[in-house]
Amino acid sequence: MSDTLLAILHMIIFPGGIFALAVGFFFKGLDRRVEARLQRRVGPPLKQPWLDTAKLLTKETLIPKTACRQAFLLAPVFGFTGMAVCAAFIPIPGVYSGLNNMGDLLVIFYLLPIPAMALMIGGSASSSPFGALGFSREMLLMLAYETPLLMILLAVAMLAGKSIAGGAAGAEFSLLKIVNWQQQTGSLGLNTAMIPALLAYLIFLPGTLGVAPFDIPEAETEIIEGPLLEYGGPLLALFNMTSALKTFVLLGLGVALFFPGVISAWWPVNLIWFVLKCLVLMLLSITVVKSATGRLRIDQAFRFYVTIPAALALCSLILVWVM
Amino acid sequence: MSLDKMLQKISVRSPWLFRINAGSCNGCDVELATTACIPRYDVERFGCKYCGSPRHTDVVLITGPLTTKVRDRVLRVWHEIPNPKVTVAVGVCSISGGVFRGGYSIEGPIDRYIPVDVNVPGCPPRPQAILEGIVLARSIWLKKLGLEE
Repeated sequence: MSDTLLAILHMIIFPGGIFALAVGFFFKGLDRRVEARLQRRVGPPLKQPWLDTAKLLTKETLIPKTACRQAFLLAPVFGFTGMAVCAAFIPIPGVYSGLNNMGDLLVIFYLLPIPAMALMIGGSASSSPFGALGFSREMLLMLAYETPLLMILLAVAMLAGKSIAGGAAGAEFSLLKIVNWQQQTGSLGLNTAMIPALLAYLIFLPGTLGVAPFDIPEAETEIIEGPLLEYGGPLLALFNMTSALKTFVLLGLGVALFFPGVISAWWPVNLIWFVLKCLVLMLLSITVVKSATGRLRIDQAFRFYVTIPAALALCSLILVWVM
Repeated sequence: MSLDKMLQKISVRSPWLFRINAGSCNGCDVELATTACIPRYDVERFGCKYCGSPRHTDVVLITGPLTTKVRDRVLRVWHEIPNPKVTVAVGVCSISGGVFRGGYSIEGPIDRYIPVDVNVPGCPPRPQAILEGIVLARSIWLKKLGLEE
Protein backbone atom coordinates (compact mmCIF):
# COMPACT_ATOMS: atom_id res chain seq x y z
CA MET A 1 0.00 0.00 0.00
CA SER A 2 2.69 2.47 1.00
CA ASP A 3 4.55 1.59 -2.22
CA THR A 4 1.53 2.61 -4.26
CA LEU A 5 1.21 5.83 -2.27
CA LEU A 6 4.90 6.58 -2.79
CA ALA A 7 4.55 5.92 -6.52
CA ILE A 8 1.61 8.33 -6.70
CA LEU A 9 3.62 10.97 -4.81
CA HIS A 10 6.43 10.45 -7.32
CA MET A 11 3.96 11.12 -10.11
CA ILE A 12 2.50 14.26 -8.52
CA ILE A 13 5.40 16.01 -6.78
CA PHE A 14 8.89 14.73 -7.59
CA PRO A 15 10.05 14.05 -10.32
CA GLY A 16 6.69 13.93 -12.12
CA GLY A 17 4.05 16.64 -11.77
CA ILE A 18 5.20 19.77 -10.00
CA PHE A 19 8.98 19.35 -10.22
CA ALA A 20 8.92 18.28 -13.88
CA LEU A 21 6.60 21.17 -14.66
CA ALA A 22 8.90 23.70 -12.99
CA VAL A 23 11.95 22.37 -14.82
CA GLY A 24 10.02 22.10 -18.09
CA PHE A 25 8.83 25.71 -17.85
CA PHE A 26 12.38 26.79 -17.05
CA PHE A 27 13.58 24.99 -20.19
CA LYS A 28 10.81 26.54 -22.29
CA GLY A 29 11.54 30.05 -21.02
CA LEU A 30 15.25 29.66 -21.60
CA ASP A 31 14.58 28.20 -25.04
CA ARG A 32 12.57 31.25 -26.09
CA ARG A 33 15.14 33.59 -24.59
CA VAL A 34 18.13 31.92 -26.25
CA GLU A 35 16.29 31.75 -29.56
CA ALA A 36 15.64 35.50 -29.34
CA ARG A 37 19.30 36.15 -28.54
CA LEU A 38 20.43 34.03 -31.48
CA GLN A 39 18.25 36.22 -33.68
CA ARG A 40 19.65 39.31 -31.92
CA ARG A 41 16.40 40.19 -30.21
CA VAL A 42 15.86 40.90 -26.52
CA GLY A 43 13.35 38.12 -26.02
CA PRO A 44 10.77 37.48 -23.31
CA PRO A 45 11.65 37.18 -19.62
CA LEU A 46 12.63 33.78 -18.30
CA LYS A 47 9.35 33.40 -16.40
CA GLN A 48 7.25 33.91 -19.54
CA PRO A 49 5.75 30.36 -19.58
CA TRP A 50 4.46 30.98 -16.04
CA LEU A 51 2.96 34.33 -17.08
CA ASP A 52 1.33 32.68 -20.11
CA THR A 53 -0.18 29.99 -17.91
CA ALA A 54 -1.49 32.57 -15.43
CA LYS A 55 -3.01 34.53 -18.30
CA LEU A 56 -4.67 31.46 -19.83
CA LEU A 57 -6.18 30.50 -16.47
CA THR A 58 -7.99 33.85 -16.31
CA LYS A 59 -9.44 33.64 -19.83
CA GLU A 60 -12.88 32.26 -20.60
CA THR A 61 -13.24 28.81 -22.18
CA LEU A 62 -15.27 28.60 -25.37
CA ILE A 63 -16.43 25.18 -26.56
CA PRO A 64 -17.66 24.86 -30.16
CA LYS A 65 -21.33 23.90 -30.46
CA THR A 66 -20.59 21.03 -32.82
CA ALA A 67 -17.68 19.63 -30.81
CA CYS A 68 -17.81 16.30 -29.02
CA ARG A 69 -17.89 17.84 -25.56
CA GLN A 70 -16.48 15.09 -23.33
CA ALA A 71 -13.62 14.18 -25.64
CA PHE A 72 -12.85 17.85 -26.20
CA LEU A 73 -12.63 18.53 -22.45
CA LEU A 74 -10.86 15.32 -21.47
CA ALA A 75 -8.17 15.18 -24.17
CA PRO A 76 -5.84 17.74 -22.49
CA VAL A 77 -6.29 16.01 -19.11
CA PHE A 78 -5.42 12.67 -20.73
CA GLY A 79 -2.24 14.08 -22.21
CA PHE A 80 -1.19 15.81 -19.00
CA THR A 81 -1.67 12.80 -16.73
CA GLY A 82 0.05 10.53 -19.22
CA MET A 83 3.14 12.71 -19.21
CA ALA A 84 3.10 13.23 -15.42
CA VAL A 85 3.13 9.44 -14.96
CA CYS A 86 5.83 9.06 -17.59
CA ALA A 87 8.02 11.62 -15.79
CA ALA A 88 8.00 9.41 -12.69
CA PHE A 89 9.65 6.63 -14.74
CA ILE A 90 12.66 8.77 -15.67
CA PRO A 91 15.58 8.13 -13.32
CA ILE A 92 17.65 11.11 -12.25
CA PRO A 93 21.17 9.70 -11.81
CA GLY A 94 22.34 9.94 -8.22
CA VAL A 95 19.04 11.42 -7.01
CA TYR A 96 16.09 9.27 -7.91
CA SER A 97 16.00 5.75 -9.27
CA GLY A 98 12.72 5.81 -11.20
CA LEU A 99 9.65 3.70 -10.55
CA ASN A 100 11.67 0.57 -10.35
CA ASN A 101 9.97 -1.90 -12.64
CA MET A 102 11.34 -4.70 -14.77
CA GLY A 103 10.88 -3.21 -18.21
CA ASP A 104 10.37 0.48 -17.63
CA LEU A 105 12.06 1.35 -20.93
CA LEU A 106 9.13 -0.32 -22.72
CA VAL A 107 6.62 1.43 -20.46
CA ILE A 108 8.21 4.77 -21.33
CA PHE A 109 8.05 3.88 -25.02
CA TYR A 110 4.32 3.28 -24.70
CA LEU A 111 3.67 6.39 -22.57
CA LEU A 112 5.60 8.79 -24.82
CA PRO A 113 3.02 9.05 -27.65
CA ILE A 114 0.21 9.99 -25.22
CA PRO A 115 0.49 13.80 -25.66
CA ALA A 116 0.42 13.39 -29.44
CA MET A 117 -2.63 11.16 -29.08
CA ALA A 118 -4.28 13.72 -26.81
CA LEU A 119 -3.67 16.31 -29.52
CA MET A 120 -5.18 14.01 -32.13
CA ILE A 121 -8.25 13.27 -30.00
CA GLY A 122 -8.73 16.93 -29.11
CA GLY A 123 -8.23 18.03 -32.68
CA SER A 124 -10.74 15.62 -34.12
CA ALA A 125 -13.22 16.23 -31.29
CA SER A 126 -13.15 19.98 -31.94
CA SER A 127 -15.13 19.44 -35.19
CA SER A 128 -12.90 21.93 -36.98
CA PRO A 129 -11.54 21.00 -40.43
CA PHE A 130 -8.16 22.40 -39.36
CA GLY A 131 -8.25 20.09 -36.35
CA ALA A 132 -8.78 17.15 -38.68
CA LEU A 133 -5.88 18.28 -40.86
CA GLY A 134 -3.68 18.60 -37.78
CA PHE A 135 -4.82 15.12 -36.73
CA SER A 136 -3.67 13.51 -39.96
CA ARG A 137 -0.36 15.38 -39.93
CA GLU A 138 0.31 14.52 -36.29
CA MET A 139 -0.39 10.84 -36.99
CA LEU A 140 1.87 10.75 -40.03
CA LEU A 141 4.69 12.45 -38.14
CA MET A 142 4.24 10.08 -35.21
CA LEU A 143 4.50 7.03 -37.48
CA ALA A 144 7.70 8.47 -38.88
CA TYR A 145 9.52 9.31 -35.64
CA GLU A 146 8.47 6.29 -33.58
CA THR A 147 10.51 3.94 -35.78
CA PRO A 148 13.93 5.53 -35.06
CA LEU A 149 13.01 5.85 -31.37
CA LEU A 150 12.26 2.15 -31.12
CA MET A 151 15.55 1.29 -32.80
CA ILE A 152 17.50 3.65 -30.51
CA LEU A 153 15.97 2.09 -27.40
CA LEU A 154 16.61 -1.37 -28.78
CA ALA A 155 20.26 -0.58 -29.53
CA VAL A 156 20.83 0.71 -25.99
CA ALA A 157 18.98 -2.24 -24.45
CA MET A 158 20.93 -4.78 -26.49
CA LEU A 159 24.32 -3.24 -25.72
CA ALA A 160 23.47 -3.16 -22.01
CA GLY A 161 22.04 -6.68 -22.11
CA LYS A 162 25.23 -7.97 -23.75
CA SER A 163 27.50 -6.87 -20.93
CA ILE A 164 25.23 -7.12 -17.86
CA ALA A 165 25.42 -10.65 -16.49
CA GLY A 166 27.54 -11.81 -19.40
CA GLY A 167 24.73 -11.53 -21.93
CA ALA A 168 22.63 -14.18 -20.24
CA ALA A 169 19.56 -12.00 -20.09
CA GLY A 170 19.52 -10.85 -23.72
CA ALA A 171 18.31 -7.26 -24.04
CA GLU A 172 18.07 -5.25 -20.82
CA PHE A 173 14.91 -3.17 -20.58
CA SER A 174 15.30 -1.84 -17.04
CA LEU A 175 16.32 1.79 -17.28
CA LEU A 176 17.71 1.77 -13.75
CA LYS A 177 20.02 -1.17 -14.54
CA ILE A 178 21.15 0.55 -17.75
CA VAL A 179 21.94 3.73 -15.80
CA ASN A 180 23.83 1.87 -13.07
CA TRP A 181 25.77 -0.15 -15.63
CA GLN A 182 26.79 3.01 -17.48
CA GLN A 183 27.93 4.66 -14.25
CA GLN A 184 30.35 1.75 -13.76
CA THR A 185 31.59 1.27 -17.32
CA GLY A 186 31.31 4.76 -18.87
CA SER A 187 28.63 6.76 -20.64
CA LEU A 188 27.10 5.36 -23.81
CA GLY A 189 27.25 8.80 -25.47
CA LEU A 190 31.04 8.32 -25.69
CA ASN A 191 30.81 4.77 -27.02
CA THR A 192 31.61 4.55 -30.76
CA ALA A 193 28.80 2.13 -31.46
CA MET A 194 26.30 4.48 -29.82
CA ILE A 195 27.25 7.78 -31.47
CA PRO A 196 24.88 7.22 -34.44
CA ALA A 197 22.08 6.41 -31.99
CA LEU A 198 22.82 9.59 -30.04
CA LEU A 199 22.65 11.62 -33.26
CA ALA A 200 19.38 9.92 -34.17
CA TYR A 201 18.00 10.79 -30.73
CA LEU A 202 19.01 14.44 -31.19
CA ILE A 203 17.20 14.48 -34.55
CA PHE A 204 14.20 12.71 -33.03
CA LEU A 205 13.72 15.37 -30.31
CA PRO A 206 12.43 18.34 -32.40
CA GLY A 207 9.97 16.10 -34.26
CA THR A 208 8.35 14.67 -31.20
CA LEU A 209 8.27 18.00 -29.38
CA GLY A 210 6.69 19.69 -32.40
CA VAL A 211 9.14 22.56 -32.84
CA ALA A 212 10.51 23.98 -36.07
CA PRO A 213 11.28 22.58 -38.62
CA PHE A 214 8.84 19.85 -37.57
CA ASP A 215 6.01 21.96 -36.11
CA ILE A 216 3.87 20.77 -39.00
CA PRO A 217 0.80 19.52 -37.06
CA GLU A 218 0.50 22.86 -35.23
CA ALA A 219 1.58 25.13 -38.07
CA GLU A 220 0.05 28.46 -37.15
CA THR A 221 0.23 30.14 -40.52
CA GLU A 222 -1.11 27.39 -42.76
CA ILE A 223 -3.58 25.38 -40.65
CA ILE A 224 -3.96 27.96 -37.85
CA GLU A 225 -2.50 25.81 -35.05
CA GLY A 226 -4.40 22.70 -36.19
CA PRO A 227 -5.62 20.64 -33.24
CA LEU A 228 -5.10 23.54 -30.82
CA LEU A 229 -7.25 25.89 -32.91
CA GLU A 230 -10.43 25.61 -30.83
CA TYR A 231 -8.71 25.36 -27.47
CA GLY A 232 -8.41 28.45 -25.33
CA GLY A 233 -8.10 29.41 -21.69
CA PRO A 234 -7.33 26.74 -19.06
CA LEU A 235 -7.52 23.87 -21.56
CA LEU A 236 -4.81 25.44 -23.68
CA ALA A 237 -2.79 26.02 -20.51
CA LEU A 238 -3.05 22.28 -19.85
CA PHE A 239 -1.69 21.56 -23.34
CA ASN A 240 1.21 23.95 -22.75
CA MET A 241 1.97 22.25 -19.44
CA THR A 242 1.89 18.86 -21.16
CA SER A 243 4.40 20.13 -23.68
CA ALA A 244 6.68 21.37 -20.86
CA LEU A 245 6.43 17.98 -19.13
CA LYS A 246 7.22 16.24 -22.39
CA THR A 247 10.32 18.41 -22.84
CA PHE A 248 11.50 17.34 -19.39
CA VAL A 249 10.72 13.67 -20.00
CA LEU A 250 12.46 13.45 -23.37
CA LEU A 251 15.56 15.35 -22.28
CA GLY A 252 15.69 13.31 -19.07
CA LEU A 253 15.39 10.11 -21.08
CA GLY A 254 18.21 11.28 -23.33
CA VAL A 255 20.44 11.94 -20.33
CA ALA A 256 19.54 8.60 -18.74
CA LEU A 257 20.25 6.70 -21.96
CA PHE A 258 23.46 8.40 -23.03
CA PHE A 259 25.07 10.52 -20.27
CA PRO A 260 24.02 9.28 -16.83
CA GLY A 261 27.28 10.13 -15.06
CA VAL A 262 27.32 11.65 -11.58
CA ILE A 263 29.88 14.09 -10.19
CA SER A 264 29.22 13.97 -6.47
CA ALA A 265 27.78 11.87 -3.69
CA TRP A 266 25.55 14.72 -2.54
CA TRP A 267 22.17 14.68 -4.32
CA PRO A 268 21.54 18.45 -4.90
CA VAL A 269 24.76 18.69 -6.93
CA ASN A 270 23.67 15.69 -8.98
CA LEU A 271 20.27 17.25 -9.57
CA ILE A 272 21.83 20.47 -10.87
CA TRP A 273 24.26 18.43 -12.98
CA PHE A 274 21.30 16.52 -14.46
CA VAL A 275 19.44 19.75 -15.31
CA LEU A 276 22.59 21.18 -16.90
CA LYS A 277 23.02 18.11 -19.10
CA CYS A 278 19.37 18.33 -20.15
CA LEU A 279 19.94 21.98 -20.96
CA VAL A 280 22.88 21.25 -23.24
CA LEU A 281 20.85 18.58 -25.05
CA MET A 282 17.99 21.04 -25.49
CA LEU A 283 20.14 23.89 -26.78
CA LEU A 284 21.87 21.58 -29.27
CA SER A 285 18.89 19.75 -30.64
CA ILE A 286 16.01 22.21 -30.28
CA THR A 287 16.92 25.86 -29.82
CA VAL A 288 19.72 26.20 -32.37
CA VAL A 289 17.84 24.18 -34.98
CA LYS A 290 14.58 26.03 -34.36
CA SER A 291 16.05 29.51 -34.69
CA ALA A 292 17.81 28.68 -37.95
CA THR A 293 15.17 26.79 -39.93
CA GLY A 294 11.73 27.25 -41.44
CA ARG A 295 8.96 24.67 -41.53
CA LEU A 296 9.14 21.55 -43.71
CA ARG A 297 6.18 20.07 -45.55
CA ILE A 298 4.69 16.93 -44.03
CA ASP A 299 5.89 14.68 -46.87
CA GLN A 300 9.43 16.05 -46.56
CA ALA A 301 9.42 15.52 -42.80
CA PHE A 302 8.07 11.98 -43.19
CA ARG A 303 10.70 11.08 -45.77
CA PHE A 304 13.41 12.65 -43.59
CA TYR A 305 12.46 10.69 -40.49
CA VAL A 306 12.15 7.30 -42.17
CA THR A 307 15.54 7.71 -43.84
CA ILE A 308 18.22 9.61 -41.92
CA PRO A 309 17.48 9.03 -38.20
CA ALA A 310 16.25 5.51 -38.95
CA ALA A 311 19.44 4.76 -40.87
CA LEU A 312 21.58 6.17 -38.04
CA ALA A 313 19.74 4.13 -35.42
CA LEU A 314 19.99 1.01 -37.59
CA CYS A 315 23.70 1.67 -37.94
CA SER A 316 24.03 1.59 -34.14
CA LEU A 317 21.93 -1.53 -33.93
CA ILE A 318 24.15 -3.34 -36.43
CA LEU A 319 27.33 -2.14 -34.68
CA VAL A 320 26.00 -3.49 -31.39
CA TRP A 321 25.17 -6.76 -33.08
CA VAL A 322 28.58 -7.36 -34.63
CA MET A 323 30.69 -6.06 -31.75
CA MET B 1 -5.64 40.46 -2.80
CA SER B 2 -7.33 37.23 -3.90
CA LEU B 3 -5.57 34.66 -6.08
CA ASP B 4 -7.90 35.49 -8.94
CA LYS B 5 -6.94 39.17 -8.86
CA MET B 6 -3.26 38.28 -8.61
CA LEU B 7 -3.49 36.06 -11.68
CA GLN B 8 -5.32 38.80 -13.53
CA LYS B 9 -2.69 41.33 -12.57
CA ILE B 10 0.16 39.29 -14.01
CA SER B 11 -1.93 38.10 -16.95
CA VAL B 12 -1.39 41.35 -18.87
CA ARG B 13 2.28 40.52 -19.16
CA SER B 14 1.50 37.87 -21.75
CA PRO B 15 -0.56 39.58 -24.44
CA TRP B 16 -0.94 37.28 -27.43
CA LEU B 17 -1.57 39.14 -30.66
CA PHE B 18 -3.83 38.28 -33.55
CA ARG B 19 -4.00 40.09 -36.86
CA ILE B 20 -7.21 40.62 -38.81
CA ASN B 21 -6.89 42.03 -42.29
CA ALA B 22 -10.16 43.86 -42.98
CA GLY B 23 -9.39 44.71 -46.60
CA SER B 24 -6.07 46.39 -45.96
CA CYS B 25 -3.61 47.19 -48.76
CA ASN B 26 -1.02 45.08 -46.82
CA GLY B 27 1.09 48.13 -45.93
CA CYS B 28 0.10 47.94 -42.27
CA ASP B 29 0.44 44.15 -42.28
CA VAL B 30 4.01 44.46 -43.48
CA GLU B 31 4.67 46.89 -40.65
CA LEU B 32 3.10 44.43 -38.17
CA ALA B 33 5.36 41.68 -39.46
CA THR B 34 8.29 44.08 -39.15
CA THR B 35 7.35 44.75 -35.55
CA ALA B 36 7.53 41.04 -34.88
CA CYS B 37 10.51 40.03 -36.94
CA ILE B 38 13.09 42.78 -36.93
CA PRO B 39 15.37 42.62 -33.89
CA ARG B 40 15.19 46.35 -33.28
CA TYR B 41 11.42 46.29 -32.71
CA ASP B 42 11.10 42.92 -30.97
CA VAL B 43 7.57 42.60 -29.50
CA GLU B 44 8.39 39.33 -27.79
CA ARG B 45 10.11 41.24 -24.99
CA PHE B 46 6.66 42.29 -23.73
CA GLY B 47 5.72 38.62 -23.67
CA CYS B 48 3.79 39.00 -26.92
CA LYS B 49 3.40 36.20 -29.40
CA TYR B 50 1.62 36.25 -32.74
CA CYS B 51 -0.85 33.42 -32.60
CA GLY B 52 -2.72 31.76 -35.42
CA SER B 53 -6.02 31.11 -33.71
CA PRO B 54 -8.55 33.73 -32.54
CA ARG B 55 -9.26 31.48 -29.56
CA HIS B 56 -5.79 32.18 -28.12
CA THR B 57 -5.96 35.91 -28.58
CA ASP B 58 -5.82 38.74 -26.07
CA VAL B 59 -4.98 41.77 -28.20
CA VAL B 60 -6.46 41.87 -31.69
CA LEU B 61 -4.87 44.15 -34.29
CA ILE B 62 -7.23 45.14 -37.12
CA THR B 63 -5.92 46.71 -40.32
CA GLY B 64 -7.86 48.00 -43.31
CA PRO B 65 -11.04 50.00 -43.93
CA LEU B 66 -13.52 47.08 -43.51
CA THR B 67 -14.82 46.32 -46.99
CA THR B 68 -18.33 44.97 -47.62
CA LYS B 69 -17.00 41.58 -48.66
CA VAL B 70 -15.01 41.05 -45.50
CA ARG B 71 -17.32 42.64 -42.91
CA ASP B 72 -19.25 39.57 -41.76
CA ARG B 73 -16.11 37.47 -41.61
CA VAL B 74 -14.27 40.04 -39.50
CA LEU B 75 -17.21 40.28 -37.10
CA ARG B 76 -17.46 36.51 -36.88
CA VAL B 77 -13.75 36.09 -36.13
CA TRP B 78 -13.89 38.96 -33.63
CA HIS B 79 -16.73 37.28 -31.75
CA GLU B 80 -14.68 34.05 -31.58
CA ILE B 81 -12.11 35.78 -29.39
CA PRO B 82 -12.58 34.97 -25.70
CA ASN B 83 -13.01 37.79 -23.20
CA PRO B 84 -11.26 39.86 -21.92
CA LYS B 85 -9.95 41.20 -25.23
CA VAL B 86 -8.52 44.52 -26.37
CA THR B 87 -9.03 45.80 -29.90
CA VAL B 88 -6.38 47.90 -31.60
CA ALA B 89 -7.11 49.64 -34.91
CA VAL B 90 -3.85 49.85 -36.85
CA GLY B 91 -3.50 52.37 -39.67
CA VAL B 92 -5.56 55.31 -40.70
CA CYS B 93 -7.91 53.18 -42.84
CA SER B 94 -9.27 51.24 -39.90
CA ILE B 95 -9.63 54.41 -37.84
CA SER B 96 -11.44 56.65 -40.31
CA GLY B 97 -11.51 54.88 -43.67
CA GLY B 98 -8.55 56.90 -44.89
CA VAL B 99 -8.44 57.53 -48.63
CA PHE B 100 -11.12 54.87 -49.10
CA ARG B 101 -13.64 56.71 -46.91
CA GLY B 102 -17.04 56.96 -48.59
CA GLY B 103 -16.16 54.39 -51.23
CA TYR B 104 -18.99 52.22 -52.56
CA SER B 105 -17.50 49.05 -51.09
CA ILE B 106 -16.45 50.43 -47.72
CA GLU B 107 -18.42 49.64 -44.58
CA GLY B 108 -15.87 51.19 -42.20
CA PRO B 109 -14.61 52.81 -40.11
CA ILE B 110 -14.29 49.80 -37.86
CA ASP B 111 -15.75 51.38 -34.74
CA ARG B 112 -19.16 51.37 -36.40
CA TYR B 113 -19.23 47.64 -35.68
CA ILE B 114 -16.56 46.86 -33.11
CA PRO B 115 -15.63 48.80 -29.95
CA VAL B 116 -12.07 49.93 -30.65
CA ASP B 117 -9.83 50.51 -27.60
CA VAL B 118 -6.64 51.91 -29.14
CA ASN B 119 -6.11 53.81 -32.38
CA VAL B 120 -2.68 53.64 -34.00
CA PRO B 121 -2.77 56.19 -36.84
CA GLY B 122 -0.36 56.30 -39.76
CA CYS B 123 -0.22 55.19 -43.37
CA PRO B 124 1.37 52.85 -42.50
CA PRO B 125 2.14 53.47 -38.80
CA ARG B 126 5.77 53.24 -37.73
CA PRO B 127 6.76 50.09 -35.77
CA GLN B 128 7.43 52.26 -32.72
CA ALA B 129 3.83 53.51 -32.88
CA ILE B 130 2.50 49.95 -33.11
CA LEU B 131 4.62 48.98 -30.09
CA GLU B 132 3.24 51.95 -28.17
CA GLY B 133 -0.27 50.87 -29.15
CA ILE B 134 0.36 47.37 -27.79
CA VAL B 135 1.75 48.74 -24.52
CA LEU B 136 -1.30 51.04 -24.25
CA ALA B 137 -3.54 48.04 -24.92
CA ARG B 138 -2.00 46.36 -21.88
CA SER B 139 -3.03 49.16 -19.55
CA ILE B 140 -6.53 49.22 -21.08
CA TRP B 141 -6.71 45.48 -20.50
CA LEU B 142 -5.87 46.09 -16.82
CA LYS B 143 -8.63 48.70 -16.61
CA LYS B 144 -11.09 46.26 -18.17
CA LEU B 145 -10.22 43.79 -15.43
CA GLY B 146 -10.93 46.51 -12.86
CA LEU B 147 -7.29 46.86 -11.83
CA GLU B 148 -4.86 49.79 -11.89
CA GLU B 149 -1.24 49.54 -12.96
